Amino acid sequence: MNRETLARTPKGLEIEGTVLECLRNANFKVELQNGHHVLAHISGKIRKNYIKILPFDRVLVELSPYDLTRGRILYRYRN
Amino acid sequence: MAVTRIEENHWQATQGDTVVGGADVSRRPDGRLFLSVDAWHAAVFDRLAATAAADLGGPVHTVVDETDDELVAAWQRAGFTVGRREGEYVLPTDPAVTGLDPDLLPPGIEILPAGQAQEGPLRALDRVVRDEISATVGWHVMPAEVVPLPDGVTVLDPTRYAVATRAGEYLGFVRVAPVPRRPRIGLVAVRADQRGQGLGRALLAHALGALHRAGSASAWAEVHEANPAALALVERAGARRAGGNLELVRP
Repeated sequence: MNRETLARTPKGLEIEGTVLECLRNANFKVELQNGHHVLAHISGKIRKNYIKILPFDRVLVELSPYDLTRGRILYRYRN
Repeated sequence: MAVTRIEENHWQATQGDTVVGGADVSRRPDGRLFLSVDAWHAAVFDRLAATAAADLGGPVHTVVDETDDELVAAWQRAGFTVGRREGEYVLPTDPAVTGLDPDLLPPGIEILPAGQAQEGPLRALDRVVRDEISATVGWHVMPAEVVPLPDGVTVLDPTRYAVATRAGEYLGFVRVAPVPRRPRIGLVAVRADQRGQGLGRALLAHALGALHRAGSASAWAEVHEANPAALALVERAGARRAGGNLELVRP
């Protein structure tokens, strides 16, 4: 696979949600737009940039392709 | 699984046609490289971290939440060790709780509220403080946001700084980020030759008092855990430790 193809390779399903609760081990309970709840951790980029995630924040979550109850917070929207 | 460096600062792990992980690196203004890795499985994480770190060579850093044992262990498998600990503290703003009276100032000291400082002297004070950091403790112990931009450019919004003065001379400042969800004490700094007189305490009292009057019940601040003076300052104000970050480094 060449570099251009790799850059276009689709990633996991991304969906907006709202943070309900901050949990232990840097995990968050997030309610997705479709009403489902997932356990999400923050992406490395968010962590690296010291972006704080708090309850009621609107976020973009990438769902795990292996477990749809788990996700990764990719982005925090400005409320 | 294959790991490919698809851009100068980005690696991707794929299995067949599926992306199963990625790694990114960015350079902080002080020159240090910070790496992040996202993967759903430990084996993918390990491959990405090892490949990216090897490609980059030299010291590579990353940041993790101190309670994220799984992630800390993953970075340790890749040869990273703890280089710095930073505590996150929640401070009450009510003077009745903090015990900090905003009106009780050291003799001869006046606090200019945010927005009232003159930009020229404020920039000069900012320059002095930055030079002292460069010459003493170094930028690696400072929060990422106060590190100067390339070419020495510093972002300085006078409306966010309250300044301690004596006879018109600028001696120290406190910067508050007025984030509605939880205001943040970004930096309390006092000129080295003016420390030990209660200026830091007076600046913090002023900032917390102003937030209290504006209706904020709490603020948060990050403190380098090897800075006993800063720790004592926030703890005496009734700060509660709410978490922390570990900065990990691979030599």
